[in-house]
Amino acid sequence: MSFEKDIKNYYIQQLSFIREQNLFKQEKQIHSPQFASINAEYPKGVRTDGIINICSNNYLGMSDHPEVIKAAKETLDSRGYGMSSVRFICGTQDIHIDLENKMSLFLGMDDTILFSSAFDANLGIFEALLDEECAIFTDSLNHASIIDGTRLCKAKKFRYANNDMDDLQLKLEEEKDHKIKLIVTDGVFSMDGIVAQVDKICELAKMYKALVMVDDSHATGFIGKNGRGTHELHNVMGEVDIISTTFGKALGGASGGCISGRQELIDILRQKARPYLFSNSISPVVVGGVLKVMNMIMESTERRDKLELNTQFWKNGLKEAGFILTNTESPIIPVMLFNAKLAQDFSLDLYAEGVYAIGFFYPVVPKGKARIRTQMSAAHETEHLEKALDAFRKVGKKYDILGRTREEIIEMYPISISL
Amino acid sequence: MAYSDKVRGIYTGTLNEIREKGIFKQERFIHSSQAADIEVEFPTGSELKKVINMCANNYLGLSSHPDVIKAAHAGLDSRGYGMSSVRFICGTQDIHKELEAKVTKFLGTEDTILFPSCMDANAGVFEAILTGEDVMISDRLVHASIIDGMRLCAALHDTFKHSDMAHLEEKLQLHADKRLKVVITDGVFSMDGDTAKLDEMVALCEKYDAMLFVDESHSSGFIGKTGRGTHEKCGVVGKIDIITTTFGKALGGASGGCVSGRKELVEMCRQKARPYLFSNTIAPVVVSGVNTVLDILSKSTERRDKLERNTQFWRKGLTDAGFVLKDGDTPIVPVMLFNAKLSQDFSKALYEEGVYAIGFFFPVVPQGQARIRTQVSAGHEIHHLEKALEAFKKVGKKFDILGKTKQEIIAMYGQ
Repeated sequence: MSFEKDIKNYYIQQLSFIREQNLFKQEKQIHSPQFASINAEYPKGVRTDGIINICSNNYLGMSDHPEVIKAAKETLDSRGYGMSSVRFICGTQDIHIDLENKMSLFLGMDDTILFSSAFDANLGIFEALLDEECAIFTDSLNHASIIDGTRLCKAKKFRYANNDMDDLQLKLEEEKDHKIKLIVTDGVFSMDGIVAQVDKICELAKMYKALVMVDDSHATGFIGKNGRGTHELHNVMGEVDIISTTFGKALGGASGGCISGRQELIDILRQKARPYLFSNSISPVVVGGVLKVMNMIMESTERRDKLELNTQFWKNGLKEAGFILTNTESPIIPVMLFNAKLAQDFSLDLYAEGVYAIGFFYPVVPKGKARIRTQMSAAHETEHLEKALDAFRKVGKKYDILGRTREEIIEMYPISISL
Repeated sequence: MAYSDKVRGIYTGTLNEIREKGIFKQERFIHSSQAADIEVEFPTGSELKKVINMCANNYLGLSSHPDVIKAAHAGLDSRGYGMSSVRFICGTQDIHKELEAKVTKFLGTEDTILFPSCMDANAGVFEAILTGEDVMISDRLVHASIIDGMRLCAALHDTFKHSDMAHLEEKLQLHADKRLKVVITDGVFSMDGDTAKLDEMVALCEKYDAMLFVDESHSSGFIGKTGRGTHEKCGVVGKIDIITTTFGKALGGASGGCVSGRKELVEMCRQKARPYLFSNTIAPVVVSGVNTVLDILSKSTERRDKLERNTQFWRKGLTDAGFVLKDGDTPIVPVMLFNAKLSQDFSKALYEEGVYAIGFFFPVVPQGQARIRTQVSAGHEIHHLEKALEAFKKVGKKFDILGKTKQEIIAMYGQ
């Protein structure tokens, strides 16, 4: 060890630099389960109970659902807490196989393999399936985990403009001669809430003989009539070759993810995907909860229907108030503020009004595109949303951005100075 | 989509190749909690069989310990099941901060940051703290997750021969001009069970102004007199700049990991580590369990002491029986078989005898170094180990490898 003054100072400087740019992320402590309203501590030592949470991925309100808690407890008693093993050594229980089968059924795929997280699923899949003779066509706004997964893979990479089918076609046309071609996209883009044109991607894939992979982490459970995801919404169930998704958002929100897809692809991942071979099996208690969630959403669409109603209500309310939103088609509803500092100040003011919603800025979104990302949940009742809308209006008024255009907001809160 | 016959053919070919090489991994389904005795379905569809588990990372026997289960129940009631969020949005509970503080105290470091897994901790830490002006010098046998983390980092990467201090010193001299230097090692090497020479590494790092990184996944909770890890065993607590470790093995075995170390480095990870920023927080129910595990371990060394006794008993038993083991004194006790197919046949024969221990072969270990990796647990009683030893002896006899040298075994079964 040699954490001497020079090294320490180097890091202190790096951290100051992040602070000076107003990019320092500060965590707020929560003293309750995840729900529509939570008990939070911020700043340190100051506790506020009953704050409305409007920025979690708890889309279906399952993270603290009594039925899920009950199932987790039953599984703790019957299958234990942890497995202390990767899958292939002694980390595969009957319930892991049950969950894999259930996901295949729900998503309409051949087979499914579980990972510790969807992050790890995306980290491992490309290297396991593709080599340097292959090519990946990746949407420019894909999730960080897909970017890291493709960085770990030797296949050639071609980025196409976000959701731009002409650009994708151009790239496919230019790059025909590869052993295997794979198009990869988020199903719902997590920062903008826009849904990928999965139907058109499938068409292009047929034309150019490419495989299609969709990350439905922000879709599984609620997008599409039965909540199966973007492939259901776009009527291409059975045509997507690979779906990766998470149990860490709508499906209980604890942890874990999976890849669902063609039989041979899943078989290969079980033999070769590094995060599968070198990281823990999903813990039994978590698996027990997800199984319950899957049973509930396969029995009834009630929760996703409520989420859809909430989304409509919230979007209309914000629009009428005069905020700038993205062209979202999902429960992800970003309120655009452009300036990183404004996003953080806005968030603090909302907090003072009893609404918990975090500012998003670089590097989580591109520079100059700072925002408050709001997310709807089936756990929200109309009274929660009405109260939150009041807070948004009040704070919007304070910063004088209601009814303003992008240019006007940027003129008031320039992005050149503080990103 | 275009999952054509051509594409299907390519993947079917790869799978056949894996099968032909005898390195196809087949999972066995466990119908019980993780423990010394487990109930297993293998092959798929067959009746359940009660067997002794000799290959879990459940070193302290806490994976389904009643106190841990009880804490998880209580945690479900007070803090829920999932958080549906990354840490910095709305995924930080008081119990996450409590766990970070407990780990810091237990490991004797300055601060700690949690990750969804230690794989993710290792995948994210290097890129968060190093740039292209820096160098990472790693032991050649470090864990796959460290390798992937280094692949994701722009810093120059170099290696030194496994546990070879002279070679490490050469490399430190070679890279003396780099801005930041990090020496990277596992504390206990997972496949061989040997221990890094942390005391010597600390001295070298001091001499050459390098930081020291240690992955303690196979040591936190039981290596060292009070189970703090390899740094305790080597007398260098407080001198390791970065420790990564897991809650997925000895510390309850559910999930999660962390980076623990210098305050500034931990803060850099909080601001920049991609798996921290872009993947879920550890589930509350899991955090509640780990918090209790650390309480148990801070109160008493009883479980690690029992593990140490079990390990001595098991190592001696296998050595006396005439198996080729890897040297070491950790609960990871690899029985060397060298040939991949032999390791799988041996594992199946053990299973017939009521012992669950998996064959390890390429790519998990190098070609020609196939083995049965046994792992001892504080969950084992002497009667488990005695029964398991009988099974090993019987199967060793069947394959006629007892008392044989490495060369003799390779002559019989090939590499």
